[in-house]
Amino acid sequence: MTKKDNPTDRRDFLQQSILGSAGAGLVIASTSHVAAAASTDSSEPELINEVDVLVVGGGTAGTIAAIQAGRAGANTLLLERNAQLGGTMTTGGVAFPGLFDAWGQQVIAGIGWELVKECVELDGGEFPNFAKVPQRHWHNQVHINQFLYALLAEEKCEQAGVEIAYYEFPQSVEKTDTGWQVECAGFGTRRRILCKQIIDCTGGAEVVGLMGLDRLREDERQPGSFLFKMDTAHNPAENQLHRLYVHGADSTNSRTVTKANLTGRKAILAKVRNAKQRLMHLQPETGFRESYRIVGEIMITVNDYTSGRVFDDAVAYAFYPVDLHTKSGVKPKPLKPGTVPTIPLRALVPKGSQNVIVAGRCVCSDRLANSGLRVQASCMAMGQAAGAAAALAAKTGSTPLQVPLASIHGVLRENAAIIPETSAV
Amino acid sequence: MKKANLGSLRRRFTSLLTALTFTVLAVTGVIAFVRPFSIHIIGLHALIGFLFIALVGVHVVNNIRPLKGYLHSRSVWVSLVITLLLAILFFRQPGPVKSILGLSANIGPAMDRFELSDSEMTFHYTPAGSYKMKLTVKTGAAYRIDNPPAAAVWLENQGGYHIKSLLVPEAAMISRLPYWNFKRKGWEKAKREAEKKAGVDIISEATPNGSFDPADYILPASKDNPMPYQLLIEIDQPDDGQPSLVYSVEVDNSDPRAFQLLDLVGYPKRENDSGDKETWALYYVDDQFSSALELINSALLTIERQDPPDAQKKSGTPKSSAFQKL
Repeated sequence: MTKKDNPTDRRDFLQQSILGSAGAGLVIASTSHVAAAASTDSSEPELINEVDVLVVGGGTAGTIAAIQAGRAGANTLLLERNAQLGGTMTTGGVAFPGLFDAWGQQVIAGIGWELVKECVELDGGEFPNFAKVPQRHWHNQVHINQFLYALLAEEKCEQAGVEIAYYEFPQSVEKTDTGWQVECAGFGTRRRILCKQIIDCTGGAEVVGLMGLDRLREDERQPGSFLFKMDTAHNPAENQLHRLYVHGADSTNSRTVTKANLTGRKAILAKVRNAKQRLMHLQPETGFRESYRIVGEIMITVNDYTSGRVFDDAVAYAFYPVDLHTKSGVKPKPLKPGTVPTIPLRALVPKGSQNVIVAGRCVCSDRLANSGLRVQASCMAMGQAAGAAAALAAKTGSTPLQVPLASIHGVLRENAAIIPETSAV
Repeated sequence: MKKANLGSLRRRFTSLLTALTFTVLAVTGVIAFVRPFSIHIIGLHALIGFLFIALVGVHVVNNIRPLKGYLHSRSVWVSLVITLLLAILFFRQPGPVKSILGLSANIGPAMDRFELSDSEMTFHYTPAGSYKMKLTVKTGAAYRIDNPPAAAVWLENQGGYHIKSLLVPEAAMISRLPYWNFKRKGWEKAKREAEKKAGVDIISEATPNGSFDPADYILPASKDNPMPYQLLIEIDQPDDGQPSLVYSVEVDNSDPRAFQLLDLVGYPKRENDSGDKETWALYYVDDQFSSALELINSALLTIERQDPPDAQKKSGTPKSSAFQKL
């Protein structure tokens, strides 16, 4: 029996009426559970949300953090300033996450890998063979369809009970007795969020900055990359996009991001004119490599990273060469065979803070260590660890560092994460 | 008809034997020069050489009278001087002589010396006087001196392309070292195609991953743009039922180190070939390996770098930059 034949399925009937014959749309999900504020005062928010965990930034780390927090039972809201999830992978177009493996074994799995794997399988793609020694480190990156990833990320969030709010960003963050009060704004939207825990996945620790906590930043930043394709059509997951370095690219605020995008697009336009070729694909935004990092409870140094130090409170592995991009390009420094760096929970927690944790490239690390830690698989692993820690902290009324490490590891293992063996557990 | 005076039976026998052994010596000498190292050819050449020396001795005794006559002629001094000069020239091996030796498939790759003892193999490669490489391979517990493993040593550029073989296995052992063979064949093919396409000039073109001149990769021509390269060993013990193993180390002249240990990388496995193209890739070592892991105890690469002359003038005294770093 087809759906059309079933007169009792009212929802399907309504949906098909809206979809029309082409089936090219969906019914917009109800937002009735968001309480509208009674006040008409323009300084008051239009919406008020009360959640356990607020994840700011729906990029590589934030998406995974939100899914993990949701799966761990936390009422979770995910704020994203752009129009889709995935960040660098989708909006930036760096659709070849890595590295999930090291020296013949998978070292990062969990929710990030689940999403990547599903994406590759649905797209009919291929996985790199992790048993094979890559000639170059990037040979084991997984090539995915960036568009499909964005869709699957939304689906996974929905399945985990995560609510997504696009086009919004926090304007202020204040401490409350039970956590935080965050005022957010998007176009036509003012939202107040009362939450127990915040996971800052903005890349540049922007929420940590709003809290007035210390951050680190270099005088110069690694170049960003603007991805595009000329001459031939872009075939997602099959071939790579062209890359243009945007020197001085800075993701600190909307003004610096605007500047980076304008600079990148201008250069691409010049390339199109010079090459006299058709522009076949252009990402909407520059992919940024570096901005602020937090001052955490511990800093991962390049020695920690290159020696594969196993921290007592390690929550994930990371794997990538030391990979500092400069004006003249990049000369990756591979890790010694057998070396697999680890990420301690303390490097995700801003020093002296409570009820906040970060994930992604703003992890507390020195510049060289960060050049290896900033990549997508590692960010996913950090995101999952932060999601588990924040959800457990919200549940127990504590702060991420007070949550027993064994409990965090337990939640991570339930979601297929690979965790370094530490002496502390 | 009068019979020719061929001398006594002993004389005839000695002369013929000397001539024939000399023929074998000459042929094996040429083969040893043009073909990759072969223990059969070199062994034959050496043993026949000893026999030849003995026969020459007998031949000299048999012909002592005419030979004495030569000693009284003036030409003996000219001959001696020419021989002495050639001996010095070939021993010291200046550039042009080295170029000729470099054409040899046997001496060329090992031109800079290969030494073997019970406990280690040592390879010397000196692409320039200011850049001396030494690879010391300490043999492991499974190494059998009576039946030594097949081994190849070569250099690859950053793109994974073979740029020079330092130790070429004997012909019979090439199939035991498929990864080196695959890389070398790719290099030979690319070189042939490049020569065909653009003439000989491309051979010395100093472009990243585009040059066929090892010096472009090994010698740090520009400190601003050093090109890291890899040194690799492939080793295989015949009859151990295990594939060959590959060890490697990356050399980065922008981060000069005097001593670097080679790491075990993996073992070669043939890929699903497309058409007639044979492809090999390395895989991480798994539990099929046992004694093969004990063939090499350690492999140490030592590079002695001297500052270029202009840098020495500035600093006053010649120093080894690698040792300074340490």
